[in-house]
Amino acid sequence: MLEINNLNVSVDDNKILNNLSLSIKTGEVHAIMGPNGSGKSTIAHTLAGNPNYQVESGSISFNGKDLLDMEPTERSLDGLFLAFQYPIEIPGVTNASYLRQIMNSHRKHQGKDPIEAGAFLKLLKEKSAYLKIPFEMHSRFVNTGFSGGEKKKNEVLQMDLLDPKLIIMDETDSGLDVDALKVTADAVNQMKSQNRSLIIVTHYLRLLEYIKPDFVHIFQNGQIIESGDSSLATRIDKEGYE
Amino acid sequence: MNKDQCSITFNGTTSIIENSSTFISISEVEEFIETKTLNIEVDESKTTQRVNLILDNCTDEPINFEINLKINENAKLEFLDESIYSNDSNIKLNTTLHKNSYFELYKLNIYKNKNINLFYHNCSLLENSSFKDYSFSNGSKENLNKTIINLNDINSKYLGSGVSINNSTNSNNEVQIRHNTKSASSDCYFKTVAKGSSKVNFDGIIFVDNHCSKTVSNQVSKGLLIGSESKINLVPKLEIYNDDVECSHGAASGQPDKNTLFYLTSRGISKEDAEQIYVEGFLSEFFATIDNDLMTEKAKKFINLNT
Repeated sequence: MLEINNLNVSVDDNKILNNLSLSIKTGEVHAIMGPNGSGKSTIAHTLAGNPNYQVESGSISFNGKDLLDMEPTERSLDGLFLAFQYPIEIPGVTNASYLRQIMNSHRKHQGKDPIEAGAFLKLLKEKSAYLKIPFEMHSRFVNTGFSGGEKKKNEVLQMDLLDPKLIIMDETDSGLDVDALKVTADAVNQMKSQNRSLIIVTHYLRLLEYIKPDFVHIFQNGQIIESGDSSLATRIDKEGYE
Repeated sequence: MNKDQCSITFNGTTSIIENSSTFISISEVEEFIETKTLNIEVDESKTTQRVNLILDNCTDEPINFEINLKINENAKLEFLDESIYSNDSNIKLNTTLHKNSYFELYKLNIYKNKNINLFYHNCSLLENSSFKDYSFSNGSKENLNKTIINLNDINSKYLGSGVSINNSTNSNNEVQIRHNTKSASSDCYFKTVAKGSSKVNFDGIIFVDNHCSKTVSNQVSKGLLIGSESKINLVPKLEIYNDDVECSHGAASGQPDKNTLFYLTSRGISKEDAEQIYVEGFLSEFFATIDNDLMTEKAKKFINLNT
């Protein structure tokens, strides 16, 4: 599904990723761990096409397409989803209206009619109840005044509504209390399938105790310095990165 | 004039706009144009009285117009102007709010970018009267909106919210709030979007006379620049001659936040739609100041059609 080869990425002329290579097959769950500044969020945002991250060289293939040739919109419509570590606030736009718009963008791309208001409301109620999101949250402006947990759940809700092929979770566990972490992890586990891959970027073991990764990669200085199975995450949690 | 497109409705009765009497000169326009003058007096009644003004491509000539509004003691008036000005225009509105009266003005005006459109409003508020002033317009070749508010008696209140959406058009806006009495309050919000090669100016003037203690006055102006050639100039001007007042002002303009646009596009929304959502969000913030559902819907529709 995803092939990253010799990727070099800079932010404000500071080189962050150094000849990074990573291969992810359909249905696999990969965890990326590493200390602060190791390049974890950089790979997440580079995959989503954030223009603040400059790709100097290398290639990324996503389901056979050159991802670096695609705009962020196209990447999303083709099934790539980034759950933000710091979801962006959009004052003046209600969450319900926003969620319906992003759904309809994808439906249009798939040649479907826009979702009807009644059907959308029903779907939103079901998904919100599952994620234990208070329904009144959707009347508020996108991520504005949301608690940390609400913001992260809203990311998972969007992920669920858009039904992506590749999910990248950038420190989704940060800012979540124990109960919210479990609800969020349960929702992500429900989305795991043979047709979908996951990249989980995290500092800690706790999310990986709920969502078992097939592979764990340790980042340092913009490179993968070690890869292994889920036991590697347990070892890092005990011993640290040093 | 076409009666169907050019009408004024007052107390449920629709009539063609006539009663011409004087001429007003527009210095920028070479010719003098026939002037229409309307005198409307509103008395106390159980319900809010309403005036709807609609000028929609109703004449090939420039429009000069003067309305004198007298809102008597305890009277309530809602004035809605949904005119589409397809020619030059020079509109004057003179309003007096008497004791305990209440006035809501909604202007949702569309101009053409080849024209000169001038709007002047001079409003005086007496004791305990209240005026809510909402203005939405899209700019033109030369568009001037000038409002002078005189808060002349205690407990008079003014709330003004203006939105100017410009697409390679110009808009000059001046709101002058004169606190001529103690214990009066004013709030003034102005938001503008400048696309293409638009030029927008806003002068927000607050004057508080030396005997006007317990004055409360706030002013916020914000501008959103879309396109590298657009210009926005927001100028708060405060003249305060009394120390026992609460006054604040803030002005800010800038381009859409890149992180927000990326967030939206990362969800599958096109760049153009992301910008549209951003603009609508920027302008929608002050819907909270409108407590009239029908007018909120009209304002949303106006923004949607003009952004």
